[in-house]
Amino acid sequence: MHKIVHYRNKCIGCNICYELQPETWRMSKKDGKATLINSTQKKSVFILSINHSIVNQSQEVAKACPVKIIKII
Amino acid sequence: MTKNKIELLAPAGSFDCIQAAINSGADAIYFGVEQLNMRAKSVSPFLISDIKKIAAVCKANKIKSYITLNTVMYDHDIRLLQNILSEVKRNGIDAVIASDFAVIQHCRQFNIPLHISTQANVSNIEAVQFFSSFADVVVLARELTLKQVSQITKEIERKKIKGVSGKLMKVEIFVHGALCMAISGKCYLSLHTQNASANRGACTQNCRRPYKVTDTETNEELLIDNEYIMSPKDLCTIGVLDEVIKSGACVLKIEGRSKGADYVSVVTKCYREAIDSVKNETYSENKIQHWKKELATVYNRGFWEGYYLGHQLGEWTRNPGSAATEKKIYIGKGSKYYPKIKVAEFTIESGNISKGDTLMLLGTAHGMKKEQIKNLIVNGVQADEAVKGDKITFACATKVSPKDKLYKILKNTNA
Repeated sequence: MHKIVHYRNKCIGCNICYELQPETWRMSKKDGKATLINSTQKKSVFILSINHSIVNQSQEVAKACPVKIIKII
Repeated sequence: MTKNKIELLAPAGSFDCIQAAINSGADAIYFGVEQLNMRAKSVSPFLISDIKKIAAVCKANKIKSYITLNTVMYDHDIRLLQNILSEVKRNGIDAVIASDFAVIQHCRQFNIPLHISTQANVSNIEAVQFFSSFADVVVLARELTLKQVSQITKEIERKKIKGVSGKLMKVEIFVHGALCMAISGKCYLSLHTQNASANRGACTQNCRRPYKVTDTETNEELLIDNEYIMSPKDLCTIGVLDEVIKSGACVLKIEGRSKGADYVSVVTKCYREAIDSVKNETYSENKIQHWKKELATVYNRGFWEGYYLGHQLGEWTRNPGSAATEKKIYIGKGSKYYPKIKVAEFTIESGNISKGDTLMLLGTAHGMKKEQIKNLIVNGVQADEAVKGDKITFACATKVSPKDKLYKILKNTNA
């Protein structure tokens, strides 16, 4: 199973992940950064197991992130 | 000559830089926190929790501190903005530098002094008049000529355009550092090619790369004399600083929040000396040559006077990266400090040093210190050389911590 890994600390709140994949991401009103919905936190990294059907779309999101803090593993 | 006191405003991307600016004679520093500043991609940006210490350090050293909140703002940023402004108000940061109307509005609600950022491209007196209802200082567009700057400052006086504080509006201009090929705040190159918005502080600097022009029909490459066709040289006004001051701008700003304490130290010191020389009428060609040589030692893409003298954009860089005449090589970090005898100990982690080398120390307590080592003490005894693993000691008035880094200065043969 694939996973989305989000290094949230370095997020600049540009909004593109939420724009491309609103079911998976939301913009936190608390600190203006993107939040990976339903993810589990390991230290400052957020991880979410994803269904095969959204792997391609998630890879597009990772590619679009301007600070390259979203990885698909 | 302007009647106003000239304020020298230095960039600070770290506590090392703040100390370097203080040591070199800055009157004020500007900094950004979190992702709402134009250097959002910095390696270790300041956080909201740093505001308290920044304010305290600046107050203790009697310099002003300004916070940049000059990115494009989205709805999801507003609460963070409010949290930052609460901290700014609580700790007495002297002003906010902004261009977005949401920030302008919130500063008014918080009753925080406001400076209009160069991102707003203020280029005429009516824009100054408009912003005078909200701010006390406007940073003019970097693309104006000194003649245009001068016309604006004269009109402020003639029309008695006062800011929120009731005092005449002040004009701030950039005097040194990187220039954009586009009008500030209006470049979308980085956004279009890599979805990295320059106006959210994520500029990938497409303009700094070499480009080829190819005729797609014949596949033939067209000859252009300089591949760096979009990368302007850096602004340097040290040679025309008397004219700059005559323009009536009274806050002179150095660009470079993503640069190191060595850059802040050298550039601030040169402009401090130059401003003082203009003031006491000792500004001379000899001094200018000396400052230019000093400025060339730290990061630069070659220099020109920007648009201030009415030149068209055409001064392009010749090489990638910096044309600095000196480079720094990492040597080691602070390992001990003996406060009674004021001696610092550093452990060498990389490379080697010899007697006679020039060393540079960067750290929060010191800013930047540069000195030639005439007397090298290695592991407690005099020696000619120190290598990896050795501990070296030397006199140092300020406390050394493990975060302090030691560098060796070498001539940059590629410059």
